[in-house]
Amino acid sequence: MASSRRGGRARITISLLLLSAVLLLTLDGRGSGPIQSVRSAVLTVLSPLGDAASTVVSPFRNAWNSAFDQGDLKEENNALREENDRLKGAITANSIAKEQLQQLLQLVGIPFVGDTPVVHTRVVSGAVGNFGDRLELDKGSSSGIERNMPVVTGEGLIGKVIEVGENRSIVSLLSSGTFKVGFSVVGTAAIGIAQGTGSDGSLRGANIDSRQAVTVGAITATSGLAGSPFPPNLPIGTITAVRTNEAALESTVDITMFANLNDLVYADVVLWKPAS
Amino acid sequence: MDHPAVRYLFVIGTAAFLQYTLFTQFRIAGVSADLLLVVAIGAGIVAGAERGAIVGFACGLCLDLLVTTPFGLGAISGLVAGVVAGLLEGATVHSARWLTSVIAFLSSAAGVLTFAIAGSLLGRSDMLSLHVFTILAVVGASSALLVFPVVRVCRWADPEDLLLRAAVR
Repeated sequence: MASSRRGGRARITISLLLLSAVLLLTLDGRGSGPIQSVRSAVLTVLSPLGDAASTVVSPFRNAWNSAFDQGDLKEENNALREENDRLKGAITANSIAKEQLQQLLQLVGIPFVGDTPVVHTRVVSGAVGNFGDRLELDKGSSSGIERNMPVVTGEGLIGKVIEVGENRSIVSLLSSGTFKVGFSVVGTAAIGIAQGTGSDGSLRGANIDSRQAVTVGAITATSGLAGSPFPPNLPIGTITAVRTNEAALESTVDITMFANLNDLVYADVVLWKPAS
Repeated sequence: MDHPAVRYLFVIGTAAFLQYTLFTQFRIAGVSADLLLVVAIGAGIVAGAERGAIVGFACGLCLDLLVTTPFGLGAISGLVAGVVAGLLEGATVHSARWLTSVIAFLSSAAGVLTFAIAGSLLGRSDMLSLHVFTILAVVGASSALLVFPVVRVCRWADPEDLLLRAAVR
């Protein structure tokens, strides 16, 4: 009797907790202010501790990484040797291609970040949890960083700021698939919407007018169309595959990002906000 | 400090601090151990499904404050892990160390899967990629190891339960 009463109470408790979690998810989904504020406050409070801990455990972390990534390092070393040989042979062709690329970028007016001010930041750490690609930067609102500002490296767009503390920012990576970016294909009038696939540096672009001549190897950059959260002409990546659905008059493309998202050390936050 | 709730708050706070400062630094295949999930499992093993649910919910909320995934996903995941641990522990006839490890592995797998499935239902389809299996393996294995010290800590946090068990024996 007592055990059945206890079981009933347990079921009620668990049900209430489940309902509370669903309520929290709903509030968060609606962009509830208090939740964002609390997360930002926690970020601000914990960031000095994170810095200190990162410094203290750094030697141990390096030892750990070298122990667990040894196999990867060997493979990477072999791959790099092969790539080095290949690059030596193709160096002349590459220099010509580089020159052509620069001319092309100038021709279509890609100034990259241009005169827009940026904040140089250091990547402090990766994700706390195991889901979701994100980075933590060592600067925040005290440096003028705000939510939704684009984040770039020297190679191109990598993501956007999603949380800001006083001296910390959290960046959601473009490859994670948590948000979309409007893009244009350089040298054509084609535009589309790209989204991460969840794997490193890989995006999928859709909603492209199939009448536009989009080819493999073409360069994509942010379109910056009205209402876009990103400024125009931030390089994104190159198109690696094109699929056309003639019936729907639409093409989809695979894009490999320019920016290497592994082992990021520095990133720039572009102090840009869309015109309201 | 004598009340279990106060002790559990202290345990959860410490676990969150260690997760943020220490555990995230050490990764295998990009995945780190989830200490907060282990605390939920420990509470379930020590004091049953109801306590596991409450502690798991609180642990999940702490994790939700540290990550950028939808707020509440961690709470559901911790709750499920705590409940599963409590139910499995209650269903076992005799206790053995290897059995505790298996319960921790299965409970953390339930928690991780709940997180991934609930996340994908909320529009984060990337959460249900093949990477989930890596997360299951690493989090499960680390939980199976970490559960022993965590269970001891949970026994300290739940002295009433300890006394009750001792009286029953």
